[in-house]
Amino acid sequence: MSLRTEEMDGNSVRDPVIRMSDVSVTYDDGESYVLDGVTVPIERNEILGIVGESGSGKSMLASSLLDAVPDPGQLSGSVEYRPEENESTEVLALEESELRRLRWEEISMVFQGAMSSFNPTMKIKEHFIETLEAHDAIVGVGMDRARELLEDLYLEPDRVLQSYPHELSGGMQQRALIALSLVLEPNVLVMDEPTAALDLLMQQSILLLLQELRAKYDLTMVFITHDLPLVASLSDRLAVMYAFELVEIGPASEVIGSPTHPYTRALLNATPNLNAPLSEMRPVEGKSPAPINVPSGCSYHPRCPLATEECRANHPPDEPVSPGHTAACFHWEEARTEIELNYDGAETGGDQR
Amino acid sequence: MSADEPLLTLENVAVHFENESGLLSDDSEVVRAVDGVSLTIEENDVVSLVGESGCGKTTLGKTAIGLQRPTAGRVTYRGHDIWSIRDGTSDADLSWQEIRQSLQIIHQDPGSSLNPNRRIISILSEPLRQVNPELGTSERRERIYSLLERVGMSPARDFADRYPHQLSGGEQQRVALSRALLMNPDVILADEAISALDVSLRVEMMDLMLELQDVFDTSYIFISHDLSNARYFTQHGGGKIGVMYLGQLTEVGPAKQLIRNPQHPYTSVLRWATPDLAAVDAPPQELPMRKIDIPDPVNPPSGCRFHTRCPEAREHCRTVDPDPVPAEESTVRCFRAQPDSQYWDSEPIEDREERSSSSSRP
Repeated sequence: MSLRTEEMDGNSVRDPVIRMSDVSVTYDDGESYVLDGVTVPIERNEILGIVGESGSGKSMLASSLLDAVPDPGQLSGSVEYRPEENESTEVLALEESELRRLRWEEISMVFQGAMSSFNPTMKIKEHFIETLEAHDAIVGVGMDRARELLEDLYLEPDRVLQSYPHELSGGMQQRALIALSLVLEPNVLVMDEPTAALDLLMQQSILLLLQELRAKYDLTMVFITHDLPLVASLSDRLAVMYAFELVEIGPASEVIGSPTHPYTRALLNATPNLNAPLSEMRPVEGKSPAPINVPSGCSYHPRCPLATEECRANHPPDEPVSPGHTAACFHWEEARTEIELNYDGAETGGDQR
Repeated sequence: MSADEPLLTLENVAVHFENESGLLSDDSEVVRAVDGVSLTIEENDVVSLVGESGCGKTTLGKTAIGLQRPTAGRVTYRGHDIWSIRDGTSDADLSWQEIRQSLQIIHQDPGSSLNPNRRIISILSEPLRQVNPELGTSERRERIYSLLERVGMSPARDFADRYPHQLSGGEQQRVALSRALLMNPDVILADEAISALDVSLRVEMMDLMLELQDVFDTSYIFISHDLSNARYFTQHGGGKIGVMYLGQLTEVGPAKQLIRNPQHPYTSVLRWATPDLAAVDAPPQELPMRKIDIPDPVNPPSGCRFHTRCPEAREHCRTVDPDPVPAEESTVRCFRAQPDSQYWDSEPIEDREERSSSSSRP
């Protein structure tokens, strides 16, 4: 976890491999935003956890990274990809053929549910060969790499390559899919709920393996999930999404240890946790807004216990909380004292609500 | 049979499935989904079953509520063998219909268990018509509206007129729960009923289920792969957690005991897998097992079934299957809970999974 340095700011990191600037996705001729002005740099070799509830726009963020927003969504802003420190490509300006190359060879994606990503009539081996051939890679060399990746993921290469997808357990399929996504040696691996369909033990085992892969292959990872506790210890930095915006970003230890946005604090308190007193777990009050109905000002204000007139009228800026840690809240200082946390290791007092 | 018979008992229950292994071969293999499980569920009880995918927890749950016929052992409802009632070989004054009605299930994916072509009002009318045939239409509607309000779906009239696809996942699950409750059941099997919900919605759903337990006087069998959910649900409900591994119950005990002082090494592994917000700064740990994948239930390991992955396994575990014994407040299937076991004199098994290409792991 060497990347947790003071120099990393929510909006400026030392050597970003990707820099998203003011990225928005709109539907209905700009009437509804499903991603609203997201600015986030992704540091080379970091694991960035992006956390949000269903319908918060987190998958749209993943699609935006590869200019793969489903039609008729309109993508705007800038996604700068920097394969090397002094090389830069604007992803949103690429031709379709260049994008296709970028998508596996530079930035690779893994989605939830390996079952639907694999063709059920093809052996795992054929998936690797097909991917290698489609990108004009040398199949022999690529398959050696495939075997190594499979072993890295605790799979027996011979057995797995000769299997059809359904002959493998869910956990094995998902690991095989991760190996496939890395076979063209990408720099960045973007994962959207990659473990959500698996049991918790397999999820944690895969997270452990991802950390090893990151170190061995110098990867940058973006891990998108609704499950904040799951990614908390995996990630170097955490970004929290609410209603299509990033509301808080910072080093993982800070976002968990001293969460600052009222939403982040409510979300953490709503999480079943082995150490929290049962009486202090409580759901987040209210509902997240739909894209056509995002409240004015701070979009969290209807659910926020600290909301004032200012929050209803104005959109809060990203307030610097500490080096590398920002929260989009007018009342972030108050939030830390007014909204108690219920787990050990955080600055808890008693239950005063 | 006295009136004090427990609501449900499973006595040494096994469920073995025949699996045709292929079109061209005559061999069939036997999947031993559940093997030798005994368990009791009392009135207003909460019993959670936890374990990995493929450990048999769903099969065990379905067996407990009469949806799956055991291949060995007995399942009794208030002292009566439910399968002899179903087969018509019992002289009990109880019909299969009554038993089925009092043992309900809600699934992980409520979307697929609700008829997509029917409005919520019609989905919920059906159980009421079955249980209370004397109710008139307007009275039935009133009851449904008031239940919908009670489960937080307000305004009820508006929700009642919708189709399932017009509801969120959490709302669909509330409808599924309401439908089960309208049958006035003694037991509801909640099979990963909250697993598909966002983490932030789970506590709310569990709270609702527990509040309604008091109102409707029902017991829950709560199946989850997530120990923190099982702990929340079980501890609030004052029940017990059963940990399953390859068809067997390895540890059964109160939630507090299992979390604070797990007696079985496998319980400790599940504990490791449960995210801990207080330990976010802790360095990544080693996998606390010798192998990452669960063995095939077609051919479970000899001796203790966990011995192929267990970090504490010794030679004795390869050959002898430990009997369940009491330890602290739990019942545990492990020699480590038996001070006089030969286990302590036998050699540790050392065959941690190695990868030929990797040097990063000791």
